[in-house]
Amino acid sequence: MSNGKRITLQQAAEIIKDGSSLTFSGFTIWRRPMAIIFELIRQHRKNLHLIEVNGGSQTEFLVGAGCVDIWESCWVGHELYGKYGANLSRKVAEKKIIVEDYSHAEMLFRFTAAASGSPYAITQTSLGTDIHNPEYDMLGRAGLRDGKRIAKLKYQFTEDPFYGAGSQVLVPAAKVDIAVLCVQQVGEEGTVRVNGQYYSDPEVARAADITIVMAEEIVPEEYLRRNADQNTIASFEVDHIVECPFGAHPTGMFGRYDVDGAFLKNFYATTRTQEGYDAFAKEWIHGLDHISYLEKLGWPRMLKLRANTAMNYSPREKKGGN
Amino acid sequence: MSNYASPEEYGLADLLCCAAAHEVKDNEVVFAGTGLPMVAIMLAQQTHAPNLKLIFEAGTLDGRPPEIPTSVGDARCEMGASRASGLYDAFSIAQRGYVDMGFLGGAEVDQYGNVNTTCIGDYLDPELRLTGSGGNPDINSFAKRTVFIMVHEKRRFVENVSYITSPGWRVKKWPGGEFVHRRELYGAAYRGGPSAIISTLGVFRFDEQDGHMYLDTYHSGSTPDEIKTQCQFDLDISRVKGATELPTKEELRLIHELLDPDEIFIPKTKKS
Repeated sequence: MSNGKRITLQQAAEIIKDGSSLTFSGFTIWRRPMAIIFELIRQHRKNLHLIEVNGGSQTEFLVGAGCVDIWESCWVGHELYGKYGANLSRKVAEKKIIVEDYSHAEMLFRFTAAASGSPYAITQTSLGTDIHNPEYDMLGRAGLRDGKRIAKLKYQFTEDPFYGAGSQVLVPAAKVDIAVLCVQQVGEEGTVRVNGQYYSDPEVARAADITIVMAEEIVPEEYLRRNADQNTIASFEVDHIVECPFGAHPTGMFGRYDVDGAFLKNFYATTRTQEGYDAFAKEWIHGLDHISYLEKLGWPRMLKLRANTAMNYSPREKKGGN
Repeated sequence: MSNYASPEEYGLADLLCCAAAHEVKDNEVVFAGTGLPMVAIMLAQQTHAPNLKLIFEAGTLDGRPPEIPTSVGDARCEMGASRASGLYDAFSIAQRGYVDMGFLGGAEVDQYGNVNTTCIGDYLDPELRLTGSGGNPDINSFAKRTVFIMVHEKRRFVENVSYITSPGWRVKKWPGGEFVHRRELYGAAYRGGPSAIISTLGVFRFDEQDGHMYLDTYHSGSTPDEIKTQCQFDLDISRVKGATELPTKEELRLIHELLDPDEIFIPKTKKS
């Protein structure tokens, strides 16, 4: 029985408004909700505030399209298919984006705080680095720290009051409007089963006010409930579900398909300039929908990426994207 | 006949990979990022450290990948692993103090081992924005020791890095930003710091008391004096031990036949 969580790709993108804060499932170039990212770009979404445990190809696509005003995270690139985020670098140089740098563990702990309803998290990472340079509080410099959705402070030092363990860093909970996940399976009522490493998906889903799950397949809820110990996220933590096969392409999905390295290499090589980005978006995003995007990629390419079900990756896709 | 490879049999990437592998001890818990560090760790696993425990940042614990993963999010990471989980496990395990060693990289390094992967030039008006920190400062804060693999150029071995992404032995105390020994800041969480920088010219270590870098070994083809000229700070070359150990023929075979046959991270050198 469905309880009405199922929506379309277009509707999913429409839930995300101009100015929304957003986060995603996955890790760098794995399990990113690319089909929704492309739909956001088609719908010309603006002024987005990305808060990500780590960035990746999804960041680069959104930033290159001019959808993003603020990026809070720790890393962006395409792993071995593109060594840094060329679109973000360009926007930083042009001062068209605010970047707030945290460390990877700080970002993760910020989401664990939000996911457990705590206002902040405590950690001992990155002491002595410029991440804690008070001059480099970029949201503060921009006058955006209102203490509502954006914390009053970037971080705060404190001394351990309990065991005398010395300096600790408090980092604010990542308060985020919407999490968009991309997973292998979701049930009709929203139960999520992630196969392989689940990265920080449980934390980001729980932290966000609204969670949208895009899955390779929507499956009968009772199928997932037969083995509840294998499920990753509970039904009521999920607000909307979308079925979208190959929705993570060109990023990869454990057990389903590999990263399309050649696609990302080409994106990285050709989008160093805004003209290059615009041409790429014209060819691969605008004027297409998900099905025509897949048609353009073609079956031979998709079959080459398809994972061997025993190995969970594709032995046909040559590593390195050549 | 020597087991060591002759100069025409190995490339610089082979030498770096083997030098990095030699830093690992058996039974250690090691944190590795994408690229050359993965190959180095898997080489150690295949040679002198068969019982090392490998952690990938994306959430694989005690992984035994049958072939080199393309990145830490790759499905290959978790084949044979004790557990495939997520970042919360990887980072809380690291912060808890389980990690003996981490392999890292960087764009710039200073004389105290502070590393920059964030930007070149003034942070507020950068010449070039780089990838950002990733887990570099976290692993460097949590592990007992860290090993960096870096390209050696004079512009990268600098007096002061543009931005301290990852903490060395003497770091900035905020709000003032004066340099203090990291022991002062980390308190009970102090476990160590960078133990080696393996560059394309030599292997560098640190005096843990005063926090300064010194040259430990130089790679075949370079000399201590030449290396000193390739640093913007005054490099201590008085403690140099000799030349860096060369790759063995067996190590080269493992790298190119078993670990990275497709030359994803390490190119093959001249062959017959």
